[in-house]
Amino acid sequence: MSEIAAASPGRAWTAVLLAWVFPGAGHWFLGRRKRAIAYAVIVTATFLVGVSFQGRLYSPEAGAPLTLLATFAVFGSGILNIAARLLLDNPHGAILSVTYEYGCAFLLTAGLMNLLLMLDAYDIAAGRKE
Amino acid sequence: MAALLPTDHFLIMLVYALLVSTFFSLLWAGERRARLRLFAKIFGALVLGGLAVAWLMYPFPK
Repeated sequence: MSEIAAASPGRAWTAVLLAWVFPGAGHWFLGRRKRAIAYAVIVTATFLVGVSFQGRLYSPEAGAPLTLLATFAVFGSGILNIAARLLLDNPHGAILSVTYEYGCAFLLTAGLMNLLLMLDAYDIAAGRKE
Repeated sequence: MAALLPTDHFLIMLVYALLVSTFFSLLWAGERRARLRLFAKIFGALVLGGLAVAWLMYPFPK
């Protein structure tokens, strides 16, 4: 951990947690407002496209270890993922839909993007990045 | 929103490439010119790479 993050670990980890909760929230907390809005728009749009394409919000399944990775990726979206699971009639997606596979790809990508944003928020809070 | 989304495979690939390229150009480049260059590189790689893979798969049966 860098010296700056060690000196104010609370700020760094708060930024990381906020970044997970909602895309861009960590960057907003750190004062990068324009970037926060851009990230929020991009990641949310990616997530919503995935939902519209009836992609699957993965959950772990016995006998399918790759679903653990997929679940981890999708949970990277934070509150978007949780809200979708609560609000959608069918969070498992529509496998017979023409756009199902694309939807899955968009949902996984949105989650992974947000995980990168969490790391970026930490780097900014730690002074490694401007 | 669903009505606005394309169902054509190529257009969907373009939408994906657009979102991913914009994201990484913002994340990895600091200045405007560098961002635009990086965006073009990633977008081009995704779209052209996708087309290349599609053509490589063309000879294979369904």
